Amino acid sequence: MNTKTYIVLIEDEKNICNFISTTLTSQGYKISTAPNAKTGISLITSGCPDIILLDLGLPDMDGIDIIREIRTWASIPIIVISARTQEKEKVLALDTGADDYITKPFGPSELMARIRTALRHSNSLHTDSLLTQRPYRADGLVIDFEKRLVALDGIPVHLTQIEFKIVSLLAQNSGKVITYDSIISKVWGPYADDNNRILRVNMANIRRKLEKNPAEPHYIFTEIGIGYRMVEEG
Amino acid sequence: MNHFFEFFSSFLRDFLRVSDLRMPSHQKSGTENSAFRSLPAGIPTEKKPWRDALITFFLLILATALSLLYFEISKNSANVALLYILALILIARGTDGYFWGIFSSLIGVICVNFLFTYPYMALNFTLAGYPVTFLGMLAISFITSASTTYTKRQMQMLAERERLLVEAEKEKMRANLLRAISHDLRTPLTSIIGSGSSYLESGALLDESQKNELVRQIYEDSNWLLNMVENLLSVTRIQDGATNVNKSYESVEEVVAEAVLRLKKRLPDASIKVHVPDELIMLPMDAILIEQVLINLLENAVLHSKSQLPISCYVEKENNSVIFHVRDYGIGIPTERLQTIFDGTPYTGNTSADSSRGMGIGLSICKTIISAHKGSIDVSPCEQGTDFYFSLPDSAQ
Repeated sequence: MNTKTYIVLIEDEKNICNFISTTLTSQGYKISTAPNAKTGISLITSGCPDIILLDLGLPDMDGIDIIREIRTWASIPIIVISARTQEKEKVLALDTGADDYITKPFGPSELMARIRTALRHSNSLHTDSLLTQRPYRADGLVIDFEKRLVALDGIPVHLTQIEFKIVSLLAQNSGKVITYDSIISKVWGPYADDNNRILRVNMANIRRKLEKNPAEPHYIFTEIGIGYRMVEEG
Repeated sequence: MNHFFEFFSSFLRDFLRVSDLRMPSHQKSGTENSAFRSLPAGIPTEKKPWRDALITFFLLILATALSLLYFEISKNSANVALLYILALILIARGTDGYFWGIFSSLIGVICVNFLFTYPYMALNFTLAGYPVTFLGMLAISFITSASTTYTKRQMQMLAERERLLVEAEKEKMRANLLRAISHDLRTPLTSIIGSGSSYLESGALLDESQKNELVRQIYEDSNWLLNMVENLLSVTRIQDGATNVNKSYESVEEVVAEAVLRLKKRLPDASIKVHVPDELIMLPMDAILIEQVLINLLENAVLHSKSQLPISCYVEKENNSVIFHVRDYGIGIPTERLQTIFDGTPYTGNTSADSSRGMGIGLSICKTIISAHKGSIDVSPCEQGTDFYFSLPDSAQ
């Protein structure tokens, strides 16, 4: 990379700010921090960062509103930092336009992984669609989007139409969590019943076809109450 | 035949009234606010004058109609008073307070006098024995009303006492938990504060490996604290009463998978064999809480079984419940300990309290969570190791 990746962190806890900026600086990122929404938004508008890390609980503004505001004019990846036990807020943030979330408490390695995923996705958006067209490969699993083929350790796996749609949606967004609602609306259409039982049934079938042990998945992970996340390529 | 019919229908009405009188008192105990508002000071039930009036008039008209019919057929007025007395009893039972009972006894006396005694269609209060009839009917209505009111009040009091008992039980559980927790929180906090301050104050005197050791200790203890806090948070999810959790249909394998995954993140060395049935099982539950239960059980098995053999975690489906097992092949648990293992009381056996910190709380939280799901949790010692299992009902609500 010629220029350092620029990250804006909006977080009101000073200790967490310190920890994150120390970690990111040592990893070669450039970072600015803001203790509240107002300074945060002015930092974003003036600096045009590559990634925004956003804490949902801010003193002056609701995190959801910040996402909404930023999304009116920019598609900069937003990673939400949230506390556990707030599934509804996480889902709302993702559906509002956040790209991913990370749950407190988290370690530096988890944070770095999320940032890399977000960067990769935003790069693939900027360059061209070729990147999303090439097959997805992870640990023995290959998904060829063009030929509509799925193979596990070289052996083709037969998936139904719907199952393939779900798997390719997750694979194209690998590393990111996709909410139940967005899977349902993308696979069954916007007017589908929002009862996610049918999604669970399809996921159970997919799991039985792709995973050696459905109770110890390797490829598709569940984020209870929120959605699914497919393992990153590599 | 008519007698029977009249009696039966009024009985039915009466029965329905009693049963829907009970209903609201049950619903009240669910929502605390209204339960407090309706705390009885005097006569407990709320007034429903329209309904009472309706019941009174309906029964009186019914009694009158039947009496007329009976009188028409048999030309005998002897049993007419009996019909009115029956109506009177039902009215007194079915309505609140004394008013409607007395009112209908008055009407009854007048009706009998007016319709069924000799100068028909005229009132004659000079008949022999008349005051006795009147007083008799009055007394019956008084006694019935009084006993009904008393029974209703008794019922209300019983429901109230039951509610208080549940409340007290909950309070006791919370107090136990708090006591156990504050003891358990103090130990890692002491270590964190101590390590931190000695690093800051005498960092210059320590060599690199000592410093590393201090920081590692802080890291470990804060991880342990985090686990504890997550347990506590899960208890706060069980709001208002031990039977109120946010249930939604979740797939069992996803919950088990995530629990195992999260445990492995924290304890990378843990070896766990997981197995779920081939068919997809969906159960109504609060997935975060059940996940917490599984994590607690698995963690206990990893940390306390003192064995390198893999722990097995498997799910079985029975007729109308699903059973989750966490089975270790370690040293087992002393039998005298097994009885109180879910109580949250710190273990005061021959091992020191600190060596098993957190274990009791974790299990008592498991118990709280499972009973809130109307399931059951238990433990059974095996030849080698221990089997912790809990079942969740598979009821479509």
